Amino acid sequence: MGATPTVLVIGGGSTGCGIARDLAMRGLSVTLVEQGNLTHGTTGRMHGLLHSGGRYAVADQASARECIQETRVLEDIASHCVEETGGLFVKRPEDSEAYFERKLRGCAECGIPTEVLSGREARQREPYLAADVDKAIAVPDGAVDPFRLCVANAASAQNHGARIETHAEVTDLLVEAGEVVGAEVTHESGPGKRTHGKAGTTEEIEADHVINATGAWAGRIGDMAGLDVNVRPSKGVMTVMNVRQVDTVINRCIPKGNADIVVPHETTCILGTTDEEVEDPEDYPEAEWEVDLMIDELSKLLPVLQEARTIRSYWGVRPLYEPPGSGTADSEDITRDFFLLDHADRDGLPGLTTIVGGKFTTYRMMAEELSDHVCDRLGVSAACRTADVPLPGSRDERVLDDAMDEFGLTSPVARRSKQRLGDRAPDVLDTDDPNPVVCSCEGVTRAELQDAIAGSGTDLNAVRIRTRASMGNCQGGFCAHAMADELHPEYDAEQASAALDDLYQERWKGQRHALWGEQLSQAMLTYALHATTMNRDEGGIAADETVDFAAFDGGTPDGD
Amino acid sequence: MSDADSPHDPGVPDDEIPDDEFEPVDVFPESELDLRSGADDCYKCSTCDTNCPVAEVDDEFPGPKFQGPEQWRLKRKDDADIDPSIMDCSNCMRCDDACPSDVPLSQMHNEARAEYVDGQMSKLSVEYWRNRVLANYRKGAWLGSKFPRLTNALANNGPLRKLGEKLFGLTAEREFPAFATQTFREWWAERGGAATSKERAREARAKRGGAQVQSEDKRVAYFHGCYANYNTPEVAKAMVRTFEHFGYEIVVPEQGCSGTPMFANGMLDDARRDAETNISSFADLIDQGYDVICSCTSCSMALRQEYPELFTFEGTDDVAAHTYEALEYLRIHEDLRGALDEAEGEDEELAYHAPCHARNQGLDRQAVELFRDLDGVAVEDVGDSCSGISGTYGWKAEKYEKSMAIGEEMFEEMGEADGQTGMTECPTCAMQMEHGTGYEIRHPLELLEDALVAE
Amino acid sequence: MAIEQDVLVIGGGLAGVTAAVSAARTGADVRLVSYKQPTLRHASGLIDVLGYTPDGEGPLVDPVAALDDLPEGHPYERVGEDAVRAGLALFDDLAGDTYEGNHTERNALVPTQGGRVKPTARYPASTAAGLASDERDALLVGFERLVGFDAPLSAAQLNAAGAPFEARGATVEFPVELSADPKVTRFAHLLDRDEAGEESQDGSVRRALAERVTTHLDGEARVGFPAVLGDDHPEDVRAALETHLGVDVFEVPMGPPSLPGFRLEDRLYDALDAAGVRIETGNPVVGYETDGRDDDLIEAVTVDRNGATVPYAAEQFVLATGGLVGKGIDSDREGVAEPIFDCHVTHPPDRYDWFEDDAFGDHRFARFGVAPDRELRPRDARGTVEFDNLRAAGAVLGNYDFAAEKSGSGVSLATGHEAGRLAGDDT
Repeated sequence: MGATPTVLVIGGGSTGCGIARDLAMRGLSVTLVEQGNLTHGTTGRMHGLLHSGGRYAVADQASARECIQETRVLEDIASHCVEETGGLFVKRPEDSEAYFERKLRGCAECGIPTEVLSGREARQREPYLAADVDKAIAVPDGAVDPFRLCVANAASAQNHGARIETHAEVTDLLVEAGEVVGAEVTHESGPGKRTHGKAGTTEEIEADHVINATGAWAGRIGDMAGLDVNVRPSKGVMTVMNVRQVDTVINRCIPKGNADIVVPHETTCILGTTDEEVEDPEDYPEAEWEVDLMIDELSKLLPVLQEARTIRSYWGVRPLYEPPGSGTADSEDITRDFFLLDHADRDGLPGLTTIVGGKFTTYRMMAEELSDHVCDRLGVSAACRTADVPLPGSRDERVLDDAMDEFGLTSPVARRSKQRLGDRAPDVLDTDDPNPVVCSCEGVTRAELQDAIAGSGTDLNAVRIRTRASMGNCQGGFCAHAMADELHPEYDAEQASAALDDLYQERWKGQRHALWGEQLSQAMLTYALHATTMNRDEGGIAADETVDFAAFDGGTPDGD
Repeated sequence: MSDADSPHDPGVPDDEIPDDEFEPVDVFPESELDLRSGADDCYKCSTCDTNCPVAEVDDEFPGPKFQGPEQWRLKRKDDADIDPSIMDCSNCMRCDDACPSDVPLSQMHNEARAEYVDGQMSKLSVEYWRNRVLANYRKGAWLGSKFPRLTNALANNGPLRKLGEKLFGLTAEREFPAFATQTFREWWAERGGAATSKERAREARAKRGGAQVQSEDKRVAYFHGCYANYNTPEVAKAMVRTFEHFGYEIVVPEQGCSGTPMFANGMLDDARRDAETNISSFADLIDQGYDVICSCTSCSMALRQEYPELFTFEGTDDVAAHTYEALEYLRIHEDLRGALDEAEGEDEELAYHAPCHARNQGLDRQAVELFRDLDGVAVEDVGDSCSGISGTYGWKAEKYEKSMAIGEEMFEEMGEADGQTGMTECPTCAMQMEHGTGYEIRHPLELLEDALVAE
Repeated sequence: MAIEQDVLVIGGGLAGVTAAVSAARTGADVRLVSYKQPTLRHASGLIDVLGYTPDGEGPLVDPVAALDDLPEGHPYERVGEDAVRAGLALFDDLAGDTYEGNHTERNALVPTQGGRVKPTARYPASTAAGLASDERDALLVGFERLVGFDAPLSAAQLNAAGAPFEARGATVEFPVELSADPKVTRFAHLLDRDEAGEESQDGSVRRALAERVTTHLDGEARVGFPAVLGDDHPEDVRAALETHLGVDVFEVPMGPPSLPGFRLEDRLYDALDAAGVRIETGNPVVGYETDGRDDDLIEAVTVDRNGATVPYAAEQFVLATGGLVGKGIDSDREGVAEPIFDCHVTHPPDRYDWFEDDAFGDHRFARFGVAPDRELRPRDARGTVEFDNLRAAGAVLGNYDFAAEKSGSGVSLATGHEAGRLAGDDT
């Protein structure tokens, strides 16, 4: 083959970014398009558990084996995205003893190391565990920041020549002579970084092969080519606590159930989850009972949760898939395995492959398998290197050493920044300019924000997922406007204003599910600050009526 | 109890220990309390930062919001390092009072400081031992009080003080407080102890209204603290005479240091030892109907707030709920206003400074309000600034300048006040007031005694 | 009982202070107890009376003229126009020449930190030269290490909003070496003390700052800074900057912590002292006692002093504990309550009806509070007065959204004044 084969990857979640990286490293010419931000879909809406495989060790041992294997890989290649927290499967008195034993056996069969702890020993590790927890199995679960992992994959793909387009929605698949040859894409603000206020454009991107890695949205892409891809999206709630009540992943040791996991995630804990099939991955009810269920059920494991502050809740949709004819009734029983649909074989439509199902922990393995398949189709023989080459930021372990200088930051802020930036920390933080903390909840400085803005334009939500700025207990109340300030003067007042509104609304969206107690008081303070002190609810530049300035008090006549 | 330090009996298998014996907080040594959940109350409004006297004079000090809820929230269990700036916090606790939302700031600072001293400060450093000696003032004071004249002479020998600064980092700028030739406890014993007090209280009650006064309601146990015992027994004596005047029977039980200087230096283990003594000693008396009275506002602060925040000995909460500052107690239980209305004070003008720890107990204005009703006496509040000494803080050579910079506002205000005598409840604030202005400093109890107790 | 007053005011914010002073002026013996520092320290220092109607109409030129149309139950409707005027008059008296705006009934438009304009009735003298109806061009100046006020962006926003003058912005380094994250009080106190401006000949920080700003001036007649120009001596700081710059200087109000809020608090507490009010801060009021015969009459409130409960007796009580932020109104997943007296707080049973999906929507939670009769006595769910001798003032009152209406300070003044006056008269 003469020219470099071209591939279009649709979907900027973990799978899509993983595929883009894999193929770009194999030397293919890759374009990735994503309708929103990177992680916009399911990747940005999961609980951040890095599975040891323990959760699948009884019901789905193949998945369990993959998980433990991939967890080990990610600990190597993505050290700055992963926290090796360890996990516990805890058993309450009413939980089945037989299942506890089966779990233990299952882990052994899958090569997942375990240790059985008495209730007392478990509480020594996690003092907030309920006093009546009988015992627990310790497993090597971990926590992962899906945002950083996804962004790092995309950055690596870019470093290998890939083009990454966010806010670029696929509006049609290009089919010529019975073959998919590309896609029509609508750029919200033109190609390149997102810029508020910039006019949108459409573009036809041609490719030798198109990959549909859109998860719960895969059916929609399929529809564009008249294909039936039966994704069964299933929603689940995640409730974010203000602080880490635990530093270990806490699973309840029961066969299956809602509200059975607490994952320590950065500065917070995330409670999960529910499992309800929905029709539309973008429009489904976010229900009060789901949040209440998280708190009430998980309080049985960690009583402190009953009174603790939650700062928001969010929902994600699992891209579950069943081969036609399986007919599983309960979405909880649908397999978590992934499926590679070669539409040439399956539907007689070459040029398009869909990947559905699967789980976050094994995204790299899925990407590898799909990339092998596509390379095979395109006659490329390069081997996968994604398991061996560290992701950007994760190359040099020494950066995280305490010996590193603190860049003039107080130690917890420096430590968090370095954990987020990995080996990029010196490049980003070593500045001669004043570098004040802008988001004090998460300890994010101006330099880190500027670095993120350089990568994501006016999209402050993209800045947020790169830095965690505005993800702490004030939920942007004290920093959202200061983040928008950082856009100026590179971007103008109107763009900064629109970007602030987007971020502010996004922060509000999740907070609505946490509006009682402290978070309601916090929300009132934020509302008072933004509406009263700044008058951002009225009197802005978007106000339709012009103000008759002359009618108002112009000061005392003598001007003193 | 200290079950924090007593892991389960190795002879008993884990599973046979009943769960109801288990309290989650006690699993770890108490110096590792998980206070992250305290960050749940934080608004991020920074009101605490604007009240911090150290941040006021030291721009590099990140302030109470960072030291408290932020640092704790960013913490993970395996994180060893606390920002070293925690040692610059003077434990004035003004942030507690400032916070509009109940964040346990000083508790977070106390825990973080203890963690820092425990895990990051070299036990071989001069700083550690200097702090340890300062924190355990009582031990030195006990020795010094045996030979008060000699100690006073040595302590304030110029060359020796310079040597102290060089070797131990104790500022040579300050004069050591003089030891009394007779400690309060020696005086108390000589006077006949509780038996004499009982008699005098009875006489006073008879004079004031006779038999209808129930003796059970008129019993107090005095926590005099170290300073009133070794250095200013006249304050303690004023407490005894004033309370007896109102008919209270006083006991002076065995007691250690309140722990204030130990908290401020991150020496929680030392504080715990003394707290255990104090709690067991006073809790028994509370069971018999006594209330606990302090004449030092830092001591009352420790018993009321810091003990329940930091320790779980049996009786801790009881002691906290029954402890009062002396004036506060009389104001609640006696018609002090009426008594002072009738009394005549000596003509006196006083510049009053409210100690930060008094402020934190809601007592910062009581002296001013109280003596407003006393003829002849004019008390002027010199403002709400911090004196800057914060116990042992201002004694450290490297903190001395900062301490004086914090105190500057108070010195100025005192200079502008009409009175040439100072007044405060806190012995170390008194030291600083005297050091900065040269004024004589009195305690409100002494004034009260002068006005009410004819002897 | 040893602690006993004619009137006891609970809460030390704008409403509580106003109530205490106004009660003291009737001749009553008054005590004010507050737990923590008031949310006055969060507030911009502007005295908003009514900037928009509850329907969002505005900005209103004449706030008083719009009072008549307010819905039943709104605090202004409860106390009436005279009380609003009386509250403002009391404020004018207490604030003296530190505030302006009482020369007219019209609202002023004050530039905010984000470059919007906001209608307000009284404004600190330090913001007077910044009014948006003033047609003189303005230079806004921000500081590198003070986040939240980007002067060039604010200026651009003001221009885009159609303000009748040209605004420009510049960001300068403060002329004293500072850490990366100086507190707002740091700037204020350096300017107060006016020492250590090393680059200026006489060491004056004010002069050194003016020198840095002068290079950016391009014919503007006024210069605006974030509101950090002094804590104890703001007039001196401003006057010195004006002298050095040769133009008017003003402050742009900022979010918490807010120096204009601090200054107002200091001024008001001095007024409390002058009025002879006994003040006690640091311990919370946690409950109340009736005399057992008459449950509608409060005999004392109980103050928690680190576990010891102490009764504070009075004839009349004023509840001015604030709203959701001040914790005068409390909530959990099940409902909303007033924690001290358990006065009724109307709220939808389902917490998902407490808010709107738009961040600036017509949130029900913003209007949570007690519902009083026309004498400001909180009423229960059936409309009956809860206690004969308890009145409520300020943000603990419900049925108004101060953030949307820009009516917070005005309601605190009007209801504080009225509650204090009625309480004092009833003793």
